Amino acid sequence: MSTLLPMNKERYMKTSKQLLNESPDLIQKAFKHEEQAIIVQYIAYQVEKEKLEDEVMEIITKSKHKWSNEDLINKIPITSTSQEDNMDRMIQQMIHGSVSIYIEGEKEAVLFALPKQEHRSLNQAETESLVFGPQVSFTESLITNLNVIRWRLDTSDLVVEKLIVGERVQSEVRIVYLKSLANEENVETMRQRIKDLKVAEVEDTSVLGQLIEDSSSTVFPQLIFTELPDRFCNSISKGRVGVMVDKSPTMLIGPMNLFNFFESTEDLYMRWNMGSFIRLLRFVSMALSIILTPMYVAALTFHYEIVPSTLLVSLGQSRATVPFPPVLEALLLEMLIELLREAGARLPTKVGQTMGIVGGIVLGQAAVEAGFTSNILIIIIALSALASFTAPSYLMGTAIRIIRFPMIILAGAYGIIGIVFALSFLVIHLLKQKSLGRPYLSPIYPFQWKDFNESIIRLPFQKNAERSKSMMTKDKDRYSNDKANERKDVDRL
Amino acid sequence: MKTNVRFAPDQSVQAFYLFFIIHTSQIGAGLMGIPRILVLESGVDAWIAVLIAGVYLHFIAFIMLQILKSYDNADILGIQCDLFGTWIGKALGMVYVIYIFQLLLTVLKNYIEVVQVFVFPEMPIWLMAFFLLTLMIYSILGGFRVVVGTSVVFFFLTIWLVFTIYKPVTHMDWEHFTPIMQTSAGDLLRGAQQVTFTALGMEILLFVYPYIQDKKRVAVPTHAGVFFTTFLLLLVMVVSIGYFSPDQLTQLVWATLSLFKIISFSILERFDFIAVALWMMVIIPNIVLFGWMIVHSLQRLFNFSKKPTLYILACCLFISSVTAEKRVTVNELTTLTGKIGFWIVFVYPVFIYLIILLKKRMKKRNAP
Repeated sequence: MSTLLPMNKERYMKTSKQLLNESPDLIQKAFKHEEQAIIVQYIAYQVEKEKLEDEVMEIITKSKHKWSNEDLINKIPITSTSQEDNMDRMIQQMIHGSVSIYIEGEKEAVLFALPKQEHRSLNQAETESLVFGPQVSFTESLITNLNVIRWRLDTSDLVVEKLIVGERVQSEVRIVYLKSLANEENVETMRQRIKDLKVAEVEDTSVLGQLIEDSSSTVFPQLIFTELPDRFCNSISKGRVGVMVDKSPTMLIGPMNLFNFFESTEDLYMRWNMGSFIRLLRFVSMALSIILTPMYVAALTFHYEIVPSTLLVSLGQSRATVPFPPVLEALLLEMLIELLREAGARLPTKVGQTMGIVGGIVLGQAAVEAGFTSNILIIIIALSALASFTAPSYLMGTAIRIIRFPMIILAGAYGIIGIVFALSFLVIHLLKQKSLGRPYLSPIYPFQWKDFNESIIRLPFQKNAERSKSMMTKDKDRYSNDKANERKDVDRL
Repeated sequence: MKTNVRFAPDQSVQAFYLFFIIHTSQIGAGLMGIPRILVLESGVDAWIAVLIAGVYLHFIAFIMLQILKSYDNADILGIQCDLFGTWIGKALGMVYVIYIFQLLLTVLKNYIEVVQVFVFPEMPIWLMAFFLLTLMIYSILGGFRVVVGTSVVFFFLTIWLVFTIYKPVTHMDWEHFTPIMQTSAGDLLRGAQQVTFTALGMEILLFVYPYIQDKKRVAVPTHAGVFFTTFLLLLVMVVSIGYFSPDQLTQLVWATLSLFKIISFSILERFDFIAVALWMMVIIPNIVLFGWMIVHSLQRLFNFSKKPTLYILACCLFISSVTAEKRVTVNELTTLTGKIGFWIVFVYPVFIYLIILLKKRMKKRNAP
């Protein structure tokens, strides 16, 4: 049962205190001004004190007139003002950083928003780094992030919708998209899924992402999480839908297909041929990362015949002293690499480097000399680990590393048949995935020949006038193709 | 049972996927052993038999499309019920189901035997059957779109194997083709009939038609699919006649796979191991599409719910692929399936078409 104003001074102050669970941080000041009792309340660390004293208190105390709510709103130079007659809602606003001023006898209290938030300033990106391109990354503050996005996407077309998620602890969620471009259905799916959430709290964007994803039983991420404003804004301007959660430096973008996870905005900043080359390199390295170790295990366990005879000699020599079957050998080393990665991630950067040297070089060398593993396997494992780190999305890289383990075991048990079975299973699995209800394997199935232009390779911008079909954007073209071709070079006939 | 199927946009695919559906359901286990079978019938003129068969395949594709076009949105099960009444129609539908089951079993058994011969002599049959059926169940559970997707993606994953044929091509001996045109017409026709065995699977057109979005554009991808199948068969036939000597060819059971034996790369000595394993990816669309046909038909005919039907189907296939060994050999099964398939796929549609024409004429005469 909510308490409603008006009430007398004593009761008002007592109720406020009760509603805030007798918090010691509630500052309550009651004073008499021209025969009026005025009560100022705020939470100590949530409010910018100097502003409050300079811009509010001074004006109130210096005035020779009686104050009314209307005067407060008109004469005090603060723009975000509201009036509230419900005590609960008033307290809620005070928690968010408002000062409430109540003049005894008035029907409502006046609230001035003077929030003070402590947060870091814009920094360089840590988890997704670009060699070439904007370096800034998002911060934990939603206001700062919105500011960055508004600055990058300087158009009135940008829609920022506000939603509140969480039954117990509430978080502010914003859905961001371009009104004249984004597919209505995608926006609606995203909005509906967030609205339908019945959870106590949402800790972070990545938690929200997991809650609204299409399938939770797969290792493959279906929405991209990014901390780079340029990547976020680039996706928005392609017609995707973004989601921001307050207090989280990662943003969420959807719908995505498998190939988007191997795209980096760097591909756009570099010349098209370099960009395409690097993108293809990533696909090749992913394929190698999945295939190499299982192939080694299969070849050495069952199919010696497929290894060329010259290579077979050196392979045999290096494996001569190894007492384990190839599966065990491979699993052991894969575990080692995973351990190195995990330990490196947990330790501070400086210690992490030493760890890498000790773990990687010393352990690897010692393992070979002790006859635990073969040299060639070390090369193969290192290569496939390296390859898996090329994925621009950390989650995708991890997914790739995880699916290697069942493949190695199948290769050890049934050789190449096991590998092909695992690959087929993987392909069918990917076929069944969806992202916001859109097919995950998009340019390949459903087959969209023109979408290869900007997913598998990257064509020069001049040749790529059409937007990708799978996005189903409202506007089909980036620009008119005819106009782009009509160049007025002097030396061209 | 309703003749026409209600069109559901979210369960339908565009017309050009028919190319993949038809092509991948035709190519499969048959292609592995076609050279020997053909050469036994038509000698070195076997490639002419392929051409004759190709023309006939196009004719049958045309007939199938004509049958389907005379209804709004029907499949063969509905058409049979419309023409012959519910009971006979359903019985004929069951004939189709049993035939596809046998075809599916043949494909499974053939591939398992190939794996045992080429890669793992000790590979237990039940394990291979388990692998293949797991994939079948997993894909079919995803619905029609995933089934079609399987055929598309696996087509792209395996089509590059065609390019490895450049190596045997360089070793071909054109003398093997002479004397040309010495085979009698009867032998050629018998050879062509053998080709049609390999090209079984085309009947899927009669089942998927209601799920195609733009019906006006159906003809081109259908014929393209059939054409591509014929082209592949011809290519394999020509290369294996040129590459193997005639006597050798009559003894090689899986000549197509033996072609891969000569291919080697600097990091891969024996490519045929990889090729035989990858052939699983050629087989998967077969199994998935045929399995979908059975499950779908049983639902259409008797309103069986899909999931239990699928699991029971997989169990049946598993049991029969493990136990059938003792009763019939794979060879006998293949020949039997081929013979039944020839009548069901390549003769029966013509009969249906004639009945439809007759019915139309009757209607015209009856109408004032």
